[in-house]
Amino acid sequence: MLRLDDIDLIYNPGRVDEVVALRNLSVTFERGQFVTVVGTNGAGKSSLIQTISGAARPTRGRIHLDGRDVTRLPDHRRAGWIARVFDDPRAGTAPELSIEDNLALAMARGRARGLRFAVTTRRRAVMREHVAGLGLGLENRLADRVGLLSAGQRQSLTMVMAALSAPSVLLLDEHLAALDPGTTATVLALTTELVRELGATTVMVTHNMDHALALGDRLLVMSRGRVIADYDGTEKSEMTVGGLIDRITGAGDAVSDRSALVEKVTS
Amino acid sequence: MTQVLLDMLVTGLPLVPVFLGIYTVFRLRADFDLTVEGSFVSGGAVCALALVHGWPSWLALLAGTGGAAAAGAVTALIHLLLRVPVLLAGLVMSIGLFSVNLHVLDTPTVSLGTVGTMFSGFGSLSGRQADLATSGVMAGVVAVVLAAFGLFLRTELGLALRATGVNARMARSQGVNDRRLTVLALVLANGLAGLGASLTVQYQGYADVNMGAGTFVAGVGAVLLGELFVRPSGSKLLRIVGCVLVGTLAYRLVLVGALRVGLPAGDLRGVTALTLLVAIAAERYLGALGGLARTLTRNARSATAPARQEAA
Repeated sequence: MLRLDDIDLIYNPGRVDEVVALRNLSVTFERGQFVTVVGTNGAGKSSLIQTISGAARPTRGRIHLDGRDVTRLPDHRRAGWIARVFDDPRAGTAPELSIEDNLALAMARGRARGLRFAVTTRRRAVMREHVAGLGLGLENRLADRVGLLSAGQRQSLTMVMAALSAPSVLLLDEHLAALDPGTTATVLALTTELVRELGATTVMVTHNMDHALALGDRLLVMSRGRVIADYDGTEKSEMTVGGLIDRITGAGDAVSDRSALVEKVTS
Repeated sequence: MTQVLLDMLVTGLPLVPVFLGIYTVFRLRADFDLTVEGSFVSGGAVCALALVHGWPSWLALLAGTGGAAAAGAVTALIHLLLRVPVLLAGLVMSIGLFSVNLHVLDTPTVSLGTVGTMFSGFGSLSGRQADLATSGVMAGVVAVVLAAFGLFLRTELGLALRATGVNARMARSQGVNDRRLTVLALVLANGLAGLGASLTVQYQGYADVNMGAGTFVAGVGAVLLGELFVRPSGSKLLRIVGCVLVGTLAYRLVLVGALRVGLPAGDLRGVTALTLLVAIAAERYLGALGGLARTLTRNARSATAPARQEAA
């Protein structure tokens, strides 16, 4: 169980350029729950991800993961339990390094790194098995530089890396945003499959209202650093894209072009 | 010609560990550490002091390595505690170390005179044979260092080190503590500088408080030169150590050649600077030419084998 208690995340507090990213945020994610998060730009979605991953330390409040207080742990200390996929496909992998080196880096997550060889024959077999599941033929290109892969391939690889150490929380920060429609469908299918396999608590931030409604068993709507609506599975299934956009604009936020475009397409 | 190559080996091989350290920070970590200008002297000074106090030459080598590594640790502490860039921390250290080194040496130059070094057994040999034996011992040490470094890069820790320089955010999200690795990289890089300095001091028979000046630029020049020939990348570990070896020797060959054609020793720093500029220019322009040539040959090959391309 992942619990956020009364979180404030404020940049430059008390100064003229003060930015309130999160305000009085309290959410509890049940173990294994798949939660989608929507909201306009600046609503606090990415700040939520950053706070959970430990990349940003909250100004106030506590974060508990499976009963332990992780508020003060930096991101690299939480990496054993929390895996993260970034919005930018280039951010989740090291382009200069080979596919197998990237995977080996993920395999050692949550353990002390020592003087064992990072890539061994046995580990390579495990890697091959995991990557083969993608159906991209990457299992035969383990020694290739990741920089040679397309955005979709890199994002798929990042998903595999996230799953390698069986995390208890999976954070997906608009991980489909930079992909073309065809690739989006592929990576989306991979996402649902991985989430089901892992059984990890999953928080997926998205700009796509369709995805937000179609995936997962809970939906959070955020605005100005707060959660303004929290729909469970049944409420979510009765929700329409139009209704969701009304809920966001009702909070006084302008819906971005990207979300509005989806509304036009679906209506 | 043989003498030129021998000169290149005996003056170049001791620099291989030093430039390997510079490669570690400059390329693997994508950062600049100027500590090496001072820690190179620290390593040489500690080694000379140990030798003068009658330590065995191998132990003196290790002492020099440790002394310089300690300087790297201080740079890392300044960087982490005061939150200044490594570049600035190293710059401050390189200046401060001058005084420290002068205190260690006590005089600006310490001559080893008749003190036994790793190479003093070769004194009875003729000039050329002595050079050959000297470069043989150095090559042995360098081979061990390069092999150990290559193996280290293959470990989980070495992989984490390589990853932090390419994508620090990703490395952290994979559980890599990049602050700890900064310390490791700086200690390792400066330790290697100390090792090279100790070899240099034992070969030339004296330690001088100014012997470190220009080391950083020379190292960057050698790395760039090596990259022209070997083209290393993050996961091609043999190429990384190969790049440093080839680059260092090529750089020394340029300097030895400059001395041979009669340039005064004072011009060597100018030659070093020019070498660096030429290496950069060659990377900028010849690199593009090389890429063009590769594309052309690939096209020519695929034109002759269109069937295979279709199959692919």
